[in-house]
Amino acid sequence: MAESTAWVLALDGQLLAAVGEREMVHVIETPILLDVPCSPPYCRQVLVWNNTVLPAMDLAAWLREQPAQRQQTLAGVFAYQAWPGADPEYGALLLAGIPAQTPVTDDQACALPKQPDRWRTLAISCFKQGDRPIPILDLPHIFTGGLL
Amino acid sequence: MNGQAQPALVQLRETPAFAVLTLDGYKWLLPQAEIQSLESILDIDREVRVPHSVGAVAFTDQWWPVYCLSGELQILPHLPDSRRVCPLLDNSADRFGLVCDSVETLAEAPRLLALPACMVLPDSPIQALVLLNDGLGCVTTTERLAALLAAVVENDDG
Repeated sequence: MAESTAWVLALDGQLLAAVGEREMVHVIETPILLDVPCSPPYCRQVLVWNNTVLPAMDLAAWLREQPAQRQQTLAGVFAYQAWPGADPEYGALLLAGIPAQTPVTDDQACALPKQPDRWRTLAISCFKQGDRPIPILDLPHIFTGGLL
Repeated sequence: MNGQAQPALVQLRETPAFAVLTLDGYKWLLPQAEIQSLESILDIDREVRVPHSVGAVAFTDQWWPVYCLSGELQILPHLPDSRRVCPLLDNSADRFGLVCDSVETLAEAPRLLALPACMVLPDSPIQALVLLNDGLGCVTTTERLAALLAAVVENDDG
Protein backbone atom coordinates (compact mmCIF):
# COMPACT_ATOMS: atom_id res chain seq x y z
CA MET A 1 0.00 0.00 0.00
CA ALA A 2 1.41 3.38 -1.03
CA GLU A 3 2.31 5.69 1.82
CA SER A 4 3.13 9.35 1.48
CA THR A 5 3.54 12.28 3.82
CA ALA A 6 1.27 15.29 4.12
CA TRP A 7 1.37 18.56 6.01
CA VAL A 8 -1.77 19.21 8.01
CA LEU A 9 -2.61 22.91 8.12
CA ALA A 10 -4.83 24.74 10.59
CA LEU A 11 -6.67 27.32 8.47
CA ASP A 12 -8.33 28.73 11.57
CA GLY A 13 -9.23 27.38 15.01
CA GLN A 14 -11.35 24.60 13.51
CA LEU A 15 -10.74 24.06 9.81
CA LEU A 16 -7.95 21.69 8.81
CA ALA A 17 -6.57 20.99 5.35
CA ALA A 18 -3.54 19.23 3.95
CA VAL A 19 -0.94 19.60 1.24
CA GLY A 20 1.74 17.27 -0.03
CA GLU A 21 5.06 17.07 1.75
CA ARG A 22 6.92 18.92 -0.99
CA GLU A 23 4.31 21.61 -1.51
CA MET A 24 5.08 23.51 1.67
CA VAL A 25 8.44 25.26 1.50
CA HIS A 26 8.47 27.73 4.38
CA VAL A 27 6.59 28.83 7.49
CA ILE A 28 6.76 32.41 8.76
CA GLU A 29 5.63 32.85 12.36
CA THR A 30 5.30 36.62 12.30
CA PRO A 31 4.61 37.49 8.68
CA ILE A 32 4.67 41.08 7.48
CA LEU A 33 1.55 41.40 5.38
CA LEU A 34 0.82 44.39 3.17
CA ASP A 35 -2.71 45.43 2.25
CA VAL A 36 -3.73 45.48 -1.39
CA PRO A 37 -6.79 47.57 -2.24
CA CYS A 38 -9.34 46.41 -4.81
CA SER A 39 -8.61 42.75 -4.10
CA PRO A 40 -10.84 39.81 -3.10
CA PRO A 41 -11.95 39.80 0.56
CA TYR A 42 -10.22 36.47 1.17
CA CYS A 43 -6.94 37.62 -0.39
CA ARG A 44 -6.48 41.22 0.70
CA GLN A 45 -2.78 41.07 1.50
CA VAL A 46 0.55 40.09 0.07
CA LEU A 47 3.58 38.66 1.80
CA VAL A 48 7.03 39.92 0.90
CA TRP A 49 9.19 36.88 0.33
CA ASN A 50 12.51 36.49 -1.48
CA ASN A 51 12.31 39.99 -2.93
CA THR A 52 8.90 39.49 -4.46
CA VAL A 53 5.31 39.49 -3.30
CA LEU A 54 3.13 36.44 -2.77
CA PRO A 55 -0.65 36.43 -2.42
CA ALA A 56 -1.61 35.74 1.20
CA MET A 57 -4.75 33.66 0.85
CA ASP A 58 -7.14 33.30 3.77
CA LEU A 59 -8.89 30.06 2.89
CA ALA A 60 -10.86 30.01 6.13
CA ALA A 61 -12.39 33.34 5.16
CA TRP A 62 -13.22 32.01 1.71
CA LEU A 63 -14.71 28.79 3.07
CA ARG A 64 -16.82 30.56 5.68
CA GLU A 65 -17.55 33.63 3.54
CA GLN A 66 -16.64 35.85 6.48
CA PRO A 67 -13.43 37.05 8.15
CA ALA A 68 -11.52 34.27 9.86
CA GLN A 69 -10.87 34.18 13.61
CA ARG A 70 -7.37 33.18 14.70
CA GLN A 71 -5.50 33.66 17.96
CA GLN A 72 -2.31 34.01 15.98
CA THR A 73 -1.66 34.24 12.27
CA LEU A 74 1.22 32.50 10.61
CA ALA A 75 1.95 32.30 6.92
CA GLY A 76 2.95 29.19 5.04
CA VAL A 77 4.68 29.52 1.69
CA PHE A 78 3.66 26.88 -0.83
CA ALA A 79 5.00 25.86 -4.21
CA TYR A 80 2.76 24.84 -7.08
CA GLN A 81 2.88 24.32 -10.81
CA ALA A 82 0.22 26.16 -12.81
CA TRP A 83 0.28 23.26 -15.26
CA PRO A 84 2.34 20.06 -15.52
CA GLY A 85 5.88 20.93 -16.54
CA ALA A 86 5.56 24.62 -15.65
CA ASP A 87 8.15 26.35 -13.50
CA PRO A 88 7.28 26.34 -9.81
CA GLU A 89 5.40 29.34 -8.52
CA TYR A 90 4.67 30.33 -4.97
CA GLY A 91 1.77 31.52 -2.86
CA ALA A 92 1.07 31.94 0.84
CA LEU A 93 -1.74 30.67 3.03
CA LEU A 94 -2.67 32.24 6.34
CA LEU A 95 -2.55 29.66 9.12
CA ALA A 96 -3.56 29.46 12.76
CA GLY A 97 -0.71 27.22 13.92
CA ILE A 98 2.47 25.38 13.02
CA PRO A 99 1.74 22.69 10.38
CA ALA A 100 2.20 19.07 11.40
CA GLN A 101 3.45 16.21 9.26
CA THR A 102 1.45 13.03 9.02
CA PRO A 103 1.79 9.79 7.03
CA VAL A 104 -1.10 9.06 4.67
CA THR A 105 -2.05 5.76 3.03
CA ASP A 106 -4.58 4.99 0.31
CA ASP A 107 -6.97 3.32 2.73
CA GLN A 108 -7.45 6.62 4.54
CA ALA A 109 -9.30 8.11 1.54
CA CYS A 110 -12.72 9.45 2.44
CA ALA A 111 -15.41 11.86 1.32
CA LEU A 112 -15.05 15.61 1.74
CA PRO A 113 -16.67 17.22 4.76
CA LYS A 114 -20.20 18.36 4.01
CA GLN A 115 -19.61 21.71 5.70
CA PRO A 116 -18.52 24.20 4.70
CA ASP A 117 -19.94 23.22 1.30
CA ARG A 118 -17.20 25.15 -0.54
CA TRP A 119 -14.63 22.44 0.19
CA ARG A 120 -15.37 20.77 -3.14
CA THR A 121 -13.97 23.80 -4.97
CA LEU A 122 -10.74 23.82 -2.99
CA ALA A 123 -9.92 20.17 -2.57
CA ILE A 124 -8.74 17.46 -4.89
CA SER A 125 -9.15 14.65 -2.40
CA CYS A 126 -9.58 13.90 1.27
CA PHE A 127 -8.23 11.50 3.87
CA LYS A 128 -9.36 10.55 7.31
CA GLN A 129 -7.15 11.17 10.33
CA GLY A 130 -8.82 9.42 13.23
CA ASP A 131 -12.46 10.37 12.76
CA ARG A 132 -11.67 13.65 11.09
CA PRO A 133 -11.70 14.18 7.31
CA ILE A 134 -8.77 16.32 6.11
CA PRO A 135 -9.27 17.81 2.61
CA ILE A 136 -6.20 17.97 0.38
CA LEU A 137 -5.85 21.38 -1.23
CA ASP A 138 -5.72 21.99 -4.96
CA LEU A 139 -3.00 24.64 -4.81
CA PRO A 140 -2.76 25.38 -8.58
CA HIS A 141 -6.52 25.99 -8.67
CA ILE A 142 -6.38 28.20 -5.60
CA PHE A 143 -3.44 30.34 -6.68
CA THR A 144 -4.22 30.71 -10.38
CA GLY A 145 -7.55 32.40 -9.82
CA GLY A 146 -9.89 29.44 -9.41
CA LEU A 147 -11.67 31.08 -6.48
CA LEU A 148 -12.42 34.36 -8.28
CA MET B 1 1.27 34.02 -12.81
CA ASN B 2 4.04 35.03 -10.44
CA GLY B 3 6.68 34.39 -13.03
CA GLN B 4 5.09 35.46 -16.31
CA ALA B 5 4.54 39.09 -17.16
CA GLN B 6 1.36 40.15 -18.91
CA PRO B 7 1.74 42.36 -22.02
CA ALA B 8 0.44 45.45 -20.18
CA LEU B 9 3.03 44.91 -17.47
CA VAL B 10 5.83 44.58 -20.00
CA GLN B 11 4.75 47.89 -21.51
CA LEU B 12 4.51 49.59 -18.13
CA ARG B 13 8.03 48.47 -17.28
CA GLU B 14 9.25 50.84 -19.99
CA THR B 15 7.74 53.80 -18.16
CA PRO B 16 10.67 55.97 -17.11
CA ALA B 17 9.12 57.66 -14.09
CA PHE B 18 6.16 57.22 -11.78
CA ALA B 19 4.34 59.53 -9.42
CA VAL B 20 2.94 58.26 -6.13
CA LEU B 21 -0.56 59.47 -5.33
CA THR B 22 -1.63 58.82 -1.75
CA LEU B 23 -5.33 58.20 -1.10
CA ASP B 24 -6.35 57.37 2.47
CA GLY B 25 -2.92 55.90 3.09
CA TYR B 26 -2.95 53.69 -0.01
CA LYS B 27 -0.27 54.52 -2.53
CA TRP B 28 -1.24 54.51 -6.18
CA LEU B 29 1.45 54.90 -8.83
CA LEU B 30 0.75 56.51 -12.19
CA PRO B 31 3.14 57.24 -15.03
CA GLN B 32 4.64 60.64 -14.29
CA ALA B 33 4.01 61.70 -17.88
CA GLU B 34 0.26 61.45 -17.31
CA ILE B 35 0.32 64.20 -14.70
CA GLN B 36 -0.25 67.42 -16.56
CA SER B 37 -0.29 69.76 -13.60
CA LEU B 38 -0.60 69.93 -9.83
CA GLU B 39 -3.33 72.20 -8.55
CA SER B 40 -4.38 73.21 -5.09
CA ILE B 41 -7.77 72.05 -3.90
CA LEU B 42 -8.47 75.76 -3.38
CA ASP B 43 -8.56 76.05 -7.16
CA ILE B 44 -11.47 73.64 -7.46
CA ASP B 45 -14.69 75.39 -8.42
CA ARG B 46 -17.31 73.32 -6.62
CA GLU B 47 -20.13 74.85 -8.63
CA VAL B 48 -18.92 73.37 -11.92
CA ARG B 49 -19.90 69.73 -11.80
CA VAL B 50 -20.43 66.68 -13.93
CA PRO B 51 -21.98 63.51 -12.45
CA HIS B 52 -19.93 62.18 -9.51
CA SER B 53 -17.37 64.99 -9.65
CA VAL B 54 -16.65 67.26 -6.71
CA GLY B 55 -16.08 70.26 -8.95
CA ALA B 56 -13.76 71.33 -11.73
CA VAL B 57 -10.48 73.13 -12.28
CA ALA B 58 -9.92 75.65 -15.05
CA PHE B 59 -6.68 74.80 -16.85
CA THR B 60 -5.53 75.61 -20.38
CA ASP B 61 -8.84 77.30 -21.15
CA GLN B 62 -10.83 74.19 -20.25
CA TRP B 63 -12.75 72.87 -17.29
CA TRP B 64 -11.22 69.66 -16.01
CA PRO B 65 -13.71 67.66 -13.92
CA VAL B 66 -12.31 66.72 -10.53
CA TYR B 67 -13.13 63.46 -8.78
CA CYS B 68 -12.54 62.23 -5.27
CA LEU B 69 -11.77 58.54 -4.83
CA SER B 70 -11.18 56.56 -1.67
CA GLY B 71 -8.05 54.48 -1.20
CA GLU B 72 -10.08 51.57 -2.59
CA LEU B 73 -10.99 53.74 -5.59
CA GLN B 74 -14.62 54.13 -4.61
CA ILE B 75 -16.11 57.45 -5.68
CA LEU B 76 -16.61 59.80 -2.75
CA PRO B 77 -19.18 62.58 -3.00
CA HIS B 78 -17.19 64.93 -0.78
CA LEU B 79 -13.59 65.88 0.00
CA PRO B 80 -12.11 64.29 3.14
CA ASP B 81 -10.04 66.68 5.24
CA SER B 82 -6.86 64.80 4.35
CA ARG B 83 -7.01 65.85 0.69
CA ARG B 84 -4.52 68.59 -0.11
CA VAL B 85 -3.60 68.50 -3.76
CA CYS B 86 -5.23 67.91 -7.12
CA PRO B 87 -3.12 66.43 -9.92
CA LEU B 88 -4.62 66.87 -13.36
CA LEU B 89 -4.32 63.62 -15.29
CA ASP B 90 -4.09 63.55 -19.06
CA ASN B 91 -3.34 60.63 -21.35
CA SER B 92 -4.53 62.42 -24.50
CA ALA B 93 -7.83 60.54 -24.42
CA ASP B 94 -8.96 61.25 -20.85
CA ARG B 95 -8.54 64.41 -18.82
CA PHE B 96 -9.63 64.88 -15.23
CA GLY B 97 -8.42 65.86 -11.80
CA LEU B 98 -8.10 63.56 -8.81
CA VAL B 99 -7.86 65.00 -5.31
CA CYS B 100 -5.15 63.30 -3.27
CA ASP B 101 -3.62 63.45 0.19
CA SER B 102 -0.19 63.93 -1.38
CA VAL B 103 1.69 63.46 -4.63
CA GLU B 104 5.38 62.57 -4.86
CA THR B 105 7.72 61.60 -7.62
CA LEU B 106 9.79 58.44 -7.30
CA ALA B 107 13.47 59.17 -7.69
CA GLU B 108 14.07 55.92 -9.57
CA ALA B 109 11.94 53.73 -11.78
CA PRO B 110 10.56 51.02 -9.46
CA ARG B 111 10.63 47.29 -10.06
CA LEU B 112 7.14 46.35 -11.17
CA LEU B 113 5.76 43.06 -9.88
CA ALA B 114 2.78 41.26 -11.35
CA LEU B 115 -0.41 41.28 -9.32
CA PRO B 116 -0.89 37.60 -8.35
CA ALA B 117 -3.52 35.94 -10.55
CA CYS B 118 -5.70 35.00 -7.58
CA MET B 119 -6.01 38.70 -6.67
CA VAL B 120 -7.09 40.01 -10.07
CA LEU B 121 -10.74 40.98 -9.79
CA PRO B 122 -12.65 41.69 -13.01
CA ASP B 123 -11.85 45.24 -14.17
CA SER B 124 -9.15 45.54 -11.53
CA PRO B 125 -7.45 48.94 -11.78
CA ILE B 126 -4.18 47.44 -10.51
CA GLN B 127 -1.72 46.70 -13.26
CA ALA B 128 1.28 45.96 -11.08
CA LEU B 129 2.57 46.13 -7.53
CA VAL B 130 5.68 47.93 -6.33
CA LEU B 131 7.62 47.52 -3.10
CA LEU B 132 8.29 51.00 -1.76
CA ASN B 133 10.49 51.96 1.18
CA ASP B 134 7.40 52.61 3.27
CA GLY B 135 5.06 49.90 2.06
CA LEU B 136 3.33 48.71 -1.04
CA GLY B 137 2.29 50.69 -4.10
CA CYS B 138 -0.28 49.78 -6.72
CA VAL B 139 0.36 50.79 -10.30
CA THR B 140 -2.52 52.02 -12.39
CA THR B 141 -3.01 54.40 -15.30
CA THR B 142 -5.21 57.32 -16.21
CA GLU B 143 -6.93 55.03 -18.71
CA ARG B 144 -7.85 52.54 -15.95
CA LEU B 145 -9.09 55.28 -13.66
CA ALA B 146 -11.14 56.80 -16.49
CA ALA B 147 -12.66 53.39 -17.20
CA LEU B 148 -13.54 53.01 -13.54
CA LEU B 149 -15.22 56.43 -13.50
CA ALA B 150 -17.05 55.69 -16.75
CA ALA B 151 -18.35 52.41 -15.35
CA VAL B 152 -19.84 54.20 -12.36
CA VAL B 153 -21.56 56.74 -14.59
CA GLU B 154 -22.79 53.96 -16.88
CA ASN B 155 -24.24 52.03 -13.95
CA ASP B 156 -26.10 55.14 -12.88
CA ASP B 157 -27.52 55.57 -16.37
CA GLY B 158 -28.43 51.89 -16.60
